[in-house]
Amino acid sequence: MKRRRARPVRNAAAEGEQFRRRALLAALGVASALVALALGYGRLQIQQHEEYATRSEENRIRLDPIVPARGLVYDRNGVLLADNAPAYRLDIVPERVEDMPQLLAALRERVALSEDELRRFDNARKGSRRFKPIPLKLRLSEEEIARLAVDRHRFPGVEVVPYLTRRYPFGELTAHIVGYVGRIDQDDVDALEARGESRFAALPHIGKTGLERYYEARLRGDVGYQEVETNVENRPLRVLRRHDAKPGADLHLSIDIALQRAMVEAFEGKHGAAIAIDPKTGEILAMVSLPSYDPNLFVGGISFNDYRRLNEDVARPLFNRNVLGGFPPGSTLKPFMALAGLDEGLITPETTVFSSGAYRLPGQAREYRDWRPGGHGTINLRESLAQSVNTYYFDLAMKLGIDRISADFDRMGFGKPTGIDLTGEAAGVLPSRAWKQRRFKQPWFPGETVIAGIGQGYWVVTPLQLAQGTAMLAGDGQLRRPHLVRATQAGFGAPRLPEPQPAPLPVVDDPAHLAAVREGLVATMHGPTGSGARAAAGAHYLMAGKTGTAQRVSRQGTERLDPNKLPYHLRHQALFVGYAPAEAPTIALALVVEHGGSGSLAAAPVARRIFDAWIGPPPVAPAPPPSASASASASAEVIPAPAPAAEEPRG
Amino acid sequence: MNVLVRALSAFAWRWLDKVDVPLLLGLGAIMGLSLVVQASAGGDADAVLKQAARFAIGLGALLMLSRVAPSTLRQWTPLAYLASLVLLGLVFAVGTGRSANLWIDLKVFYLQPGELLKLSVPMMVAWFLHQAVLPPRWRTLGITAAIIGLPVGLTILQPDFGTGLLVGASGVFAVFLAGIAWWRIGLFAGLGLAALPVGWQFLMPYQRDRILTFLDPESDPLGTGWNIIQSKIAIGSGGATGKGWGQGTQAHLDFLPEHTTDFVFSVYSEEFGWFGVLVLLALYFVVVARSLWLASQARDTYGRLLAGALALTFSVYVIVNAGMVAGFLPVVGVPMPLLSYGGTSAVSLLAGFGMVMAAGAHRRTWGG
Repeated sequence: MKRRRARPVRNAAAEGEQFRRRALLAALGVASALVALALGYGRLQIQQHEEYATRSEENRIRLDPIVPARGLVYDRNGVLLADNAPAYRLDIVPERVEDMPQLLAALRERVALSEDELRRFDNARKGSRRFKPIPLKLRLSEEEIARLAVDRHRFPGVEVVPYLTRRYPFGELTAHIVGYVGRIDQDDVDALEARGESRFAALPHIGKTGLERYYEARLRGDVGYQEVETNVENRPLRVLRRHDAKPGADLHLSIDIALQRAMVEAFEGKHGAAIAIDPKTGEILAMVSLPSYDPNLFVGGISFNDYRRLNEDVARPLFNRNVLGGFPPGSTLKPFMALAGLDEGLITPETTVFSSGAYRLPGQAREYRDWRPGGHGTINLRESLAQSVNTYYFDLAMKLGIDRISADFDRMGFGKPTGIDLTGEAAGVLPSRAWKQRRFKQPWFPGETVIAGIGQGYWVVTPLQLAQGTAMLAGDGQLRRPHLVRATQAGFGAPRLPEPQPAPLPVVDDPAHLAAVREGLVATMHGPTGSGARAAAGAHYLMAGKTGTAQRVSRQGTERLDPNKLPYHLRHQALFVGYAPAEAPTIALALVVEHGGSGSLAAAPVARRIFDAWIGPPPVAPAPPPSASASASASAEVIPAPAPAAEEPRG
Repeated sequence: MNVLVRALSAFAWRWLDKVDVPLLLGLGAIMGLSLVVQASAGGDADAVLKQAARFAIGLGALLMLSRVAPSTLRQWTPLAYLASLVLLGLVFAVGTGRSANLWIDLKVFYLQPGELLKLSVPMMVAWFLHQAVLPPRWRTLGITAAIIGLPVGLTILQPDFGTGLLVGASGVFAVFLAGIAWWRIGLFAGLGLAALPVGWQFLMPYQRDRILTFLDPESDPLGTGWNIIQSKIAIGSGGATGKGWGQGTQAHLDFLPEHTTDFVFSVYSEEFGWFGVLVLLALYFVVVARSLWLASQARDTYGRLLAGALALTFSVYVIVNAGMVAGFLPVVGVPMPLLSYGGTSAVSLLAGFGMVMAAGAHRRTWGG
């Protein structure tokens, strides 16, 4: 055995012997494990038999989950935007049903059952344990409940169960903010199980979009349970022990429902999107995306036809344009370009540029045009904004260069999500050398810098990013996270806990730079040459703003094309950014009117109507300037009386 | 008449000559008990018939495989192993299932590659060790570890922890029976213990929950803890002699979840008591012991290791399931072999016993 490695020879007999020894050992191991199990079972079944026998006798006790009331959603003045309403649903326990088709046929004579409901019930049955109740129909009418009560004894396994359903009193008006809840489907159950949260599958609803989804974990509360003594038929007799459910937290939004409504009316039926932000805090005062949809359709499970209608609508009512949409910002980018130029020390408010109507790069034939044929003449910063002079910004963009543009606009919040409390926010596109290399595997060309200066080319921004930037211009030059939830509250009497927000990021180096840009924005609205002057005429307060037009197709070669004959999604979009009152802004606004034509004709009047609604009518007598609280109480008159459920205790 | 009997017995002898009667009797007794319990727990004649049909298919597989000489089976082993690995990979691409994608939809029936692995992995380990020098040394052990580790890792990723455990055990048992040195076993055990905290990081949240609930069932009275508490009540209330067939209240009043599948042994314990438990455990031991004896009669290393590994894996089912429903072990999705309701596992188990019988029947006297 000295040199075993040399070429080991197999020894079949020894291997067999080795196996028999090991097999015997293993058999002994199995035997002792089985004996240990037998002893363990003996302990349970003989030694502790009395105890378990008693528990089994008592085990007419069932553990039922207690569903918490979902948190309510209020606007900034306490108006209910999402509310729980008591309702009754029809549950079926498949295990106790002998003949399902016959039962369903019998139920159909008493309750209206749609094909959608039957299909959903069938799907739910496949994925569920047989002894678990499965909802067949939500929101039974009183008549249906009465009809079922009459011969309930004839339907074992059928239960009429009270529950709380979700209601959105303002429907379409808040759909893109609050979102909606829907019935928990198999995907939701799987996701909950994977997170170890399967107890929440007992809830009737789960947040699917909007705040309902983003704040799902806080709105839903925690499931409790109760021990219920039952009779032989499993019907509850009395409650023995109760571990209460924890109701979900209420959300207090920064939204002002009156302004929200005024914003929709300001669009006068046109499609588009708008966001109003309080520049001092980043709170979103109103946010609309038009057209909208009725979220109440989704709560009980939307019907196939309704869903197809919404989903196939070319105007895309389900799509929240503010957060998910993107377009080239056009001239609304100019104030931010001006700020970048001032901060980089490349221009001063007095810097002038001569506009001849066409701008050329040295050694290149291509002309970059001003919108006014023949040009605007010699132009300073203020007039460059007021008249929206492209040449000024072609020149400024070339002075800055694409790298500084990329870096400065990154600091101003472009090209990345703002962090709003909604899911799925788009990042947009901030043009840069790195981005172009990644996206097109091509180097950057100087001509692309020129058009980047007027918000054309690769730029894609969301209305939310524009609103955040505008709020920065209107406020103290700091970037704040736009948000919808101001505070949460654990219950009716509990203290309101302000929702923590990240610290604002300083963007502007020198307040004088901000002042110079703001002067240009006021001149846009009130100056003799201003592009928004017609819309601002006759206002009793000063406003500031910038109009813009987003081109979906290049004007080159399509000059004679009628914009209204372009395909829907390629039509121009009218843009506006601005704030009011100009000297002490309480509202910053970004809006887009789809296929509206020019910013000054289509977008600025909409903005004016929104500003008017927020600031209110002129004070009659000498009075303090309009403040946010004054306008809030004034606008509260527009609101219908809060839904009665607001006062009802929940649970 | 006499002619007919003789013809029949001649036919039977021709087809059943490789079948080991004591083992078949043991398996038959367990299957009989299964139908009895299913009739009570499921309360559904249809389900009992389906279970009986699965047993019939499984017995057919047993019969066929008992006639395949181990030397023939050995030649096909690498192919079978590769095929089952490919199917396992396919599950990731086209698998279906509720919480984990464990199944391939073949339109006619669903195929669960995890069940195939329970046969093909011990086959492959036996195939490899058959050609190696025994007892195995580091090189051999390294390759064996790869043969076992790849399918086990993929199965756990699916995630199907119970099947992964059983597949892994079947391979490890083959190595043990091949005579791996004790000091190496000690070393591996030590390494395994040291790796426990690392393994914890890789567990799915629901698996961690199960272990935490095992340590303190009352902490999750609505979830897994409920199962264990109710299962213990079922077992304990059965007493020595049981409540009688069809009298188990736990299952019938819906307190016991999964009472036809993973928790069927609790129903059995409640209705037939401790004596019933002793009888069933004894039957399981008979099956395991007889299989090990058949394994030791096998002509070559391949047959020996394969049969032995299958026998010991069968015992793991029993020990893990009986331990889990009584709250001695954490809940892993391992059914009680042949007793639980369910198709693929019954068929693959019976097919395995066909291989065990083949190993025992094709012994030295047969052209060796």
